[in-house]
Amino acid sequence: MIAQQLVNGLVTGSVYALFALGFTLIFGTFKILNLAHAGVFMSGAFIGYFAVLYGLPLWLALVLAMVGAGLVSYLVELTAFATIRGSGQIEFGALISSIGANLCLMSVAQQLSNTKVLRFPFGTFPVRFYEIGPVRFSFLQIIILLVVMVLLAAMMLYLYKTTFGRQIRAVSGNERVASLLGVNPALVYFQTFFISGALAGVAGILIGLSFNSIHFYMGEPYLLKAFVVVVLGGLGSVHGAVVAGMLLGIFQNLAVAYLPSALTDTIIYSLLFVVLLVKPSGLFGSEGVQVGVARR
Amino acid sequence: MMNLVYTYQPLFDYFLLAIGYAYSQQMVLRAGVFSIGSAGFACIGAYGVAILVRDHGMYPLLALAIAAAIGCVGGFLLSIPLARLRGVFQAIATLAFVQIIVSLALYFDELTGGPQGFNNIPKQVQTWHLVLAVVVTVYFMYVISRSSIGRAFDALRQDETVGATLGISIRKYHMIAFVLSGALAGFFGGMQSLYSYSIEPEMFGFAFLVAALTYIILGGRGTVTGPIIGAAIMSLLPELARPLAENRQFFQGVLMMVMVAFMPHGVFDGLVLYLRKRRAAARDKNFKEANHAGAGS
Repeated sequence: MIAQQLVNGLVTGSVYALFALGFTLIFGTFKILNLAHAGVFMSGAFIGYFAVLYGLPLWLALVLAMVGAGLVSYLVELTAFATIRGSGQIEFGALISSIGANLCLMSVAQQLSNTKVLRFPFGTFPVRFYEIGPVRFSFLQIIILLVVMVLLAAMMLYLYKTTFGRQIRAVSGNERVASLLGVNPALVYFQTFFISGALAGVAGILIGLSFNSIHFYMGEPYLLKAFVVVVLGGLGSVHGAVVAGMLLGIFQNLAVAYLPSALTDTIIYSLLFVVLLVKPSGLFGSEGVQVGVARR
Repeated sequence: MMNLVYTYQPLFDYFLLAIGYAYSQQMVLRAGVFSIGSAGFACIGAYGVAILVRDHGMYPLLALAIAAAIGCVGGFLLSIPLARLRGVFQAIATLAFVQIIVSLALYFDELTGGPQGFNNIPKQVQTWHLVLAVVVTVYFMYVISRSSIGRAFDALRQDETVGATLGISIRKYHMIAFVLSGALAGFFGGMQSLYSYSIEPEMFGFAFLVAALTYIILGGRGTVTGPIIGAAIMSLLPELARPLAENRQFFQGVLMMVMVAFMPHGVFDGLVLYLRKRRAAARDKNFKEANHAGAGS
């Protein structure tokens, strides 16, 4: 029973991690909270759904959702963030304009779906189960874990082993110095938002597949969870978000199994509150994060 | 004419409630605290009043006073841990606070009705009560903004370090902002539950705090008139944008982005700033012209 919950939790948690990773990447690099991440996540699910509906194979739908959501995310950056950069109010303004961008995305999705819950056509994904000892895996769970692992590995390689990744990290350290050293900020903006959106898009279609429901407000609960994941892991910390995402998924599954379900949220958000007060840099946050927390 | 009044009365009433919440949100933002906790206090106030009036038969005005008092105490308690945090981190912590309150309202379902909501609240609040409450609140906000508290808030918002060097206690004034904001939110939350027959936890969730923030962004952070303008725009927008039908939400999103990009101080505050600048420019010009003419008479 416990082993089963752990496995389920790991699968849920890996999707949380995928969602939170893009969120924390943008925060770590540009110090803005991108609330439109929920809308990007949802648009990934929608793109995937319509691709499947037009008869494309599922892997192609996944790729399309990834690229499409990446572009949507860049569109959000162009409309919501590029316009207010340098106004000196980016911290406050970004929150509001990303809420605006999120409303726009949701409104488009609402009209595309006629406010209905969309479901993938029957047989989009083979329903198969494997049993190892007492634990039951569905084929979908294995695929989700695999996709997430591959993406996380690719992301780590990209961030820590390539020139582009080094540029992103340089901008996150200090944008002015980075651009003095020849980093093109426009390219970094594009890459960061594209990667972040692509990860959210994959998370969207995976969630859409595993619950077989896609609707225009599906992003909000994940956005709220992402806050918990990101703070727990340390705002801006990439590996922190991964570990915290997995932990949250496991915790949530165990809590749903053994605690009254309404209390789960109370515990999770109390944890968020306490972590912010006791150790605002999170589990893996750097000291630099703490400077942003304290009094300016 | 009477028809028109009847059609738009609910709209007007919700506009009045929105003004109350907008002031609660403005109070903290004005002091430079990035708190979005008003939704949580409104939730506490609404449920408190609903339980006191429906289940214990309390006199509504007393229940409302209690709701405001609970909001005060809640704001005070929340301000103690939040004094450690700034900016985005404050926002996330208060978001967590709101989520905790909402999930607790869902959990204690024998007290609050849980997800089914709290129903059959006697309707004790009429439009004129709301008008009275808003007028008193506006006066109250005006007095505060003209007092030393308001000036301290403005100083802290513009630059905390400068404020501190001028001898303004950051901790004390942030606490005052939290307490007043909590009281307003609790009171108007109670008004809403006595006005609308039924309440449910989700009403005070993420959408609520987004709305409260929007009023302030649209109206302005630094003036008493700002929130009224903001709430009016957001209340009237769905009516004015009726030809846009389903695109209404899209339009609202675009408006928010455009406002932040081009009028970062809000409609009213932006206008005030613009007029002030123009008057200063005109004065400079007059001064120069006078000097040129050598008008020493």
